[in-house]
Formats: sequence, C-alpha cells, structure tokens
Amino acid sequence: MVMTIDWTIIPDYFPIFMKGLQTTIEISVISIVIGFIGGILIGMCRISRNPFVYGLSTVYVEAFRGTPLLIQIFLVYLGLPQLGIYVDSPLVAGLIALSLNSAAYQSEIFRGGVQSISVGQIEAARSLGMTYNQSLFNVVIPQAIRNALPPYTNEFITMIKDSSLVMTIGVLELTLRGKLISATTGQSIPVLLFVAVLYFVLTFSTSRILRYVEKRFAIPGMMGSDSR
Amino acid sequence: MTEPIIEIIDLKKSFGDNHVLKGISLRVMPQEVVTIIGPSGSGKSTLLRCMNHLNMPDGGKIIFQGHDIASKDIDINAVRTQMNMVFQCFNLFMHLTAKRNIALALMKVKKMGKAEAEERAMRALETVGLQNKADAYPGELSGGQQQRVAIARALAMDPKVILFDEPTSALDPELIGEVLDVMKKLALSGMTMVVVTHEMGFAREMADKVVFMDQGVIAEQGTPEEIFVNPQNPRTKVFLKRILKEVGSMDPGIPTDFLPSSNGEQDKS
Repeated sequence: MVMTIDWTIIPDYFPIFMKGLQTTIEISVISIVIGFIGGILIGMCRISRNPFVYGLSTVYVEAFRGTPLLIQIFLVYLGLPQLGIYVDSPLVAGLIALSLNSAAYQSEIFRGGVQSISVGQIEAARSLGMTYNQSLFNVVIPQAIRNALPPYTNEFITMIKDSSLVMTIGVLELTLRGKLISATTGQSIPVLLFVAVLYFVLTFSTSRILRYVEKRFAIPGMMGSDSR
Repeated sequence: MTEPIIEIIDLKKSFGDNHVLKGISLRVMPQEVVTIIGPSGSGKSTLLRCMNHLNMPDGGKIIFQGHDIASKDIDINAVRTQMNMVFQCFNLFMHLTAKRNIALALMKVKKMGKAEAEERAMRALETVGLQNKADAYPGELSGGQQQRVAIARALAMDPKVILFDEPTSALDPELIGEVLDVMKKLALSGMTMVVVTHEMGFAREMADKVVFMDQGVIAEQGTPEEIFVNPQNPRTKVFLKRILKEVGSMDPGIPTDFLPSSNGEQDKS
C-alpha cells in the first residue's frame, strides 16, 4: 500500500530529532578529540626508533584500520563483558570503540604530517641545543598539524557519519532516533531525508570550520597561504 | 701560545662501507676562521656535522673546551649551545617569524623570558641588517635574507664557535654577496668560525687557515697564501684549477694571481 508523504512529521517530532542530533554531536566531538590526542601519541610511537614501541603501535594501527568498525563496536560492548570488563552504558562503549578506531586513523594522518616536515627543521632545532622533545613540540608538530589539516578534515567528517554505527548497540543518536520515528509513523522518506540533511549540516559546517582554521593558521609565504 | 678551542684528533666516520672520514686531525684556534674546501663527497660536511653530533663520529676525539665531545656520554645539548650550525638550506622554522625563529631557542634552551629573548633577537637581527624584517616569515624572505636570519639565530645563542655548512651554495649568485658580507663582519668581530665553502674569494680573503679535504682526508692545509698561490699537493692543484676556472668564467673580475701556479700541469683549453 502506498502512503502519502507527510512532511508535518518533521515539526511534530522536531524535539526528538534534536535530542538525537545532540547525542550524535557529543559522540562525534568526544571521539574526534580523544582520537586526535591518541593519534598524536600513537603517531609518535610510529616514528619511534624503539622497535618494541614501533611494533606495538603498528599492530594497533593495522588492527583497527583493517577490521570493520561495526565489529569493533560489538567487541567493546558485547565482547568485553565476557572478559569480566563491564561497560554497562552503550554510549560509553560506543565512545570507546569510535575513539580507539579514530586514533588509529588519526595517527597515520599525524605521521604523514610529521614526515612532510624536512629533517633540516629538526636538525636546526637540535643544533641550537633544543632537546628532541622540544624540537618535536615547538618546531615539528605545529607545522605537521597545519600540513595535515586536509586529511584531518576528511577523518572528522568520516567520524561524524560513522558515529551512526553505534545505533546497533542501542545508543539513541540521530540515526536510531530517526529509525524509531520512521517505524512508529511509517513516514520513512521525510524522516530519513531529514536525518540525512542534519548529518550534512554537521559535516558541511565541519569542513567549513576547518577550512577557516586552515586559512587562519596558514604560514605566510608558504604554499596555500594566499591562494583563494 | 694559546690553547686551541677545538682539537680534532684522528676522527673517523663511515656510512656502511663508505668511509667518509678516514682520520681527520685539525686544530681551530680561538677567533680563527677556518675554511674547508674540497670536491663534493670529500667529507667536508660530514666533518662539520660530526662536530655537533648531527652525525655521530665512529672514532677519534674532538676536544672542545677541554672535553672530548666525540664521546657518547657528553651532554650534547650543552655543547650545541656553544657551537651552532648554519646550514646550506637555511632551515629556518617556517612557521615562525624571523624574530621568533631566533627567540625560540633562547627561551627553550637558555630559559630566557619572552621579552628578553625577543630583545636579544632584535639585536641579532640588527647585526645582520634585518631588523625591519623581524615580523616576516621565512617564506616571505629571499634566500639571502633567510640565511642572514639563520646566522643571527646562531649568533644570538652567544656561541663560542659557529659552523657554516656551505652557507651560500643554495643561493642565487646575486644573493651570495650579502651573506658573505655578514660572515665577514662576524669574522672581523672575532667569532671563531669553521666554514665549509665553495666561495674561494671568501676563503682567500677571510680565512686564517684553509683546509683542503679530498676523499676523507685532509690533503693539505695552510694559510690562504700557501694553499691558493703555492699549493703543494697535486690534488689541491687539480681542484683549485678546476674550480677557479669555473669561477673565473663566471666572474672575469677575478684577479689572476688567484690561480694556482700551473707548472707541471697540462690541459690548456
């Protein structure tokens, strides 16, 4: 049977959509931030000369990059309790899985950024008497992150969209809210399209904000600083 | 007689099977300008880089202010604050202004406050004539200006020695002069300098000692007169003849007594 499309469903359920949106924003922001910091730490391990540190971080990255995020979410929520580690909130389990996964991707982005910096930058810092860590934090990382902003933007957008996967363990974020509204009302087209639009608003603002950050922190005289 | 500020004794360095330095011994006296010349691949830059551990020496000694700094136990960061390096490719920190390029190490290494470090940075920029470029980023400066900032950065650390690794080799010909002028000013102020260079004019005019390196050894060393006018080692003669011919063809204003005596040499094209 064909059901007429009823767009009034959107204003009717608007507060519920917004609740879902809020949860999606929270999950995305938290896992992106944790993933960013974790990514720097793991990325630093990946450029370490210590074979143990390097090996361990490589295994981590390959494992999280090479397996489905959905399985990782299930493993945290359903697998850990079997080991006696109880993550009783689906939200927390989802956050853990997303953060661990994003850290793996972001570590590669960070590593790429670091490797785009010429060795001469570190040599110059070291030859002035700065320690390895001082050179890293004052010279390499500020430039590496600037250079890596475009791939970071990609990853942040991916995270916002992938956060929808935590609906499978019952986190009431935007996608699950939408699915429930669509099931109770039968108005799949308006509901799902509206959900898609809300995701788009999030990802598009993210890309605009990061584009602004990119411009704002562009290094004068360097490529891209005065284009557009 | 005064003590040498640096005494290198039988320094060796290999990269795999490639023996780059095969036992270098060299003394640098305080306030002396030592220029190291020689063909590419002769180990000049490696010698300089071993002196502040950008490459770790394999054997031999480098006595600097009474300590053997070729040893792994030395606090190399402390040594590096006294012996700075100026690089071929400038290596200014691209994300910092000229002033902050200089101030960074003063704040991090010498633990100066921001105001003090920036004031010192401004004085160093004045020395190299770039105080009006204090707020420019390296990408906004010409190569010559970047290298002058790099020299100011080394100078501001108040080092005992500055090492120059082919400081003008990456520059357009018309920009070399401004960098050499700054280096001359530095030399005249009494700074101890070890300069790897292809600028024979600078070597001849400013050096107290010219060292000719070839195939990982010091083939000959002496005063500029001894090396440029009357070289003894046949390899020195061949090198100088070749390089001065190249320079001469670019710059007809080069004095004729600059060319080494060519007795015993053939080749007349």
